[in-house]
Amino acid sequence: MASQQQVSAIKGAKVLMVGAGGIGCELLKTLALSGFQDIHIIDMDTIEVSNLNRQFLFRQSHVGLSKAKVARDAVLKFRPHMSITPHHANVKDSDFDVEFFKQFNVVLNGLDNLDARRHVNRLCLAADVPLVESGTTGFLGQVTVHVKGKTECYECKPKPAPKTYPVCTITSTPSKFIHCIVWAKDLLFAKLFGDKNQENDLNVRSSDAASSSEHANDVFERREDEDIDQYGRRIYDHVFGYNIEVALSNEETWKTRNRPKPFYSKDVLPDKLTQLNGNLDKSGATDDFSSVSAMASLGLKNPQDKWSLMECSRVFLEALKLFFLKRVKEIGNLSFDKDDQLAVEFVTAAANIRAASFCIPLHSLFEAKGIAGNIVHAVATTNAIVAGLIVIEAIKVLQKDADNYRMTYCLQHITQKMLLMPVEPYEPDKSCYVCSETPLLLEINTHRSKLRDFVEKVVKAKLGMNFPLIMHGANLLYEVGDDLDEAMVANYAANLEKVLSELPSPITGGTMLSVEDLKQELICNINIKHREEFDDEKEPDGMVLTGWTQAPPVEEEKANGNGASSSNALQVEPVETKKDAELEEIPESSRRKRKLPEDSEGTDVDVSNDVNETKNHKEVEKLDDDDDEDLVMFDDWASASNKKKRLQ
Amino acid sequence: MSGGIARGRLTEERKSWRKNHPHGFVAKPETAKDGSVNLMVWECIIPGKAGTDWEGGYFPLSLYFSEDYPSKPPKCKFPQGFFHPNVYPSGTVCLSILNEDNGWRPAITVKQILVGIQDLLDQPNPADPAQTDGYQLYIQDPTEYKRRVRQQSKQYPPNL
Repeated sequence: MASQQQVSAIKGAKVLMVGAGGIGCELLKTLALSGFQDIHIIDMDTIEVSNLNRQFLFRQSHVGLSKAKVARDAVLKFRPHMSITPHHANVKDSDFDVEFFKQFNVVLNGLDNLDARRHVNRLCLAADVPLVESGTTGFLGQVTVHVKGKTECYECKPKPAPKTYPVCTITSTPSKFIHCIVWAKDLLFAKLFGDKNQENDLNVRSSDAASSSEHANDVFERREDEDIDQYGRRIYDHVFGYNIEVALSNEETWKTRNRPKPFYSKDVLPDKLTQLNGNLDKSGATDDFSSVSAMASLGLKNPQDKWSLMECSRVFLEALKLFFLKRVKEIGNLSFDKDDQLAVEFVTAAANIRAASFCIPLHSLFEAKGIAGNIVHAVATTNAIVAGLIVIEAIKVLQKDADNYRMTYCLQHITQKMLLMPVEPYEPDKSCYVCSETPLLLEINTHRSKLRDFVEKVVKAKLGMNFPLIMHGANLLYEVGDDLDEAMVANYAANLEKVLSELPSPITGGTMLSVEDLKQELICNINIKHREEFDDEKEPDGMVLTGWTQAPPVEEEKANGNGASSSNALQVEPVETKKDAELEEIPESSRRKRKLPEDSEGTDVDVSNDVNETKNHKEVEKLDDDDDEDLVMFDDWASASNKKKRLQ
Repeated sequence: MSGGIARGRLTEERKSWRKNHPHGFVAKPETAKDGSVNLMVWECIIPGKAGTDWEGGYFPLSLYFSEDYPSKPPKCKFPQGFFHPNVYPSGTVCLSILNEDNGWRPAITVKQILVGIQDLLDQPNPADPAQTDGYQLYIQDPTEYKRRVRQQSKQYPPNL
């Protein structure tokens, strides 16, 4: 059905595909079958077993090989006469510079992370090459077209940064299961098994009251010769008992909230049960560290089961013990990893005990793992649909058919019986810090904040630069890179620790900084405004950047689409927040029941099961709220369709 | 701001140099004692070309950029008293592409300047003498000239 024009546009095109994963496999196949002749693929990944269910160009024998290369070979088998050039490399490598990008007629993204997407967006703008961007999350997907000067760039619209929670919600007043997960993963787990030198707010509330008592700073350290079971119970009692009591003593907090219930191990676990633990542990002992599992040694089999409070408590103590008995060498530099079975068990147990304490519905290990690891289950069909949409847009771009560019959402809108929703693309945002040249404004305390704070919180976290050059006038304040000599590295390292106003070239109110990235071809000018005080709660960074389109505090986003996940410390992206919000609507009466932990195997479980049933029914409809950062615009699709004529 | 153009260009020069530069060459903004790094002055090292009498020498050169860069070329200076027919006693290099009334074009990069000066070392331009010593010997006593050049190369070993 392709017109002659289309055929020639396709035949003459040189295309760059970034990513050869879920979308990439589908895309390469569709491109090949549509008649494209010259394709370059960049992908740094190797094939993993978990890819095989949907990345259909790969087979079991390919596990461990380059995705880009295997994908090429697989497609050449049915399209032997086309040219496919694989690059097994990171798209952020300096080889892929502006000149490299300029050789292509269009760039097609099938990426799984924000960082790489921003990078490609910036290079495409610099090279003036059109970009077709895509992303999927479960049943949801989207394809957008970014042509410099014609449509908005990938970064014109704010991309919600990974959600972070106010410290006091996590440490004192959790109201959702995700809060308990964050507490278990980023505070408790990190405190017990992670780097001891890391700042940790675990005891933030209790420390004042406790500083002089026996609960001193290293309550979390195992004392010399302390029996491991005793140590576990001491930790248990401290975090689930003592700390809750300390929190309860602050009456003001609980006027508008349900009072949490402190748990002590002796009440929850009668002695003989612990004995049983020990026995089972020995029988389950194994030399294979990777298979160390508290579930196995306790005889818990089904990861989909919700454990009772008692089971959670046993898993908690058992997992803690196993870390000390089997993996003691790793203690001190562990960080949570969703693929670490024992870590997931520990976090699940700890989060559930805390949830029980705060009358929050309990979750299974499977669910907790998904939340803690930000896992989204990828759907092959969505990837295939999105790949098709990418090719449709790519062909329009090649024909410069600007009037017909569309951004298309793949969604499940039952009431409207609609799967695809195409929308006319937006125009470039004139104040976009990436594709326009408007300076940003940074309010910061120049006498207190260090250059390091600026680099970490603004340059890296917000502007997304990896190899920044920071300049004040003609003075270079900061650079990074392997190519710098030692003297310069030392000099810049010293600068990092200086407060802004004491830098060799002082940054004060009225200073204009310019920040560039060595590899991204992006320049940002930032006007500095000195401000003395910041609100710890609302402005936890101690600085406020404006002009940079701050993402609204969305509750329903995730950083990585397509099933890829990052288990970064302290940054948490709620997967299930929306659903949890519904859970919040459980009638007060049923919630009250949760206050009795003894009930957890009885009525309590029933309640949570009911709730989860409801959740599952609603899940389908609600999924669109649980979307990923790529789908953020989706949140305002309704307004989008108001402003723009909707196309059917 | 008038300096904006110079700075913007120098940042570009810095980035492009960091990404890729000829082997053996060094070029970086000057770091003052207080730790400030000034983009308007670059400290460079030019290696003597292999197979010439300049081989083995790593010659320090400073580039002084003005606010009018790149409309005007940078001033390029070897150490005072540098022995070469086209280097002034002050160390300033005399080369057509560094002369704004002659061969300078704003498109000339730092890399091209340094490579150009490296070429100049072994291929002096007798039509444009800048010092008596070097020029006289080059014209009148090639053996002695060679000896002086080799001697000077030894004075500037690597990593200085």
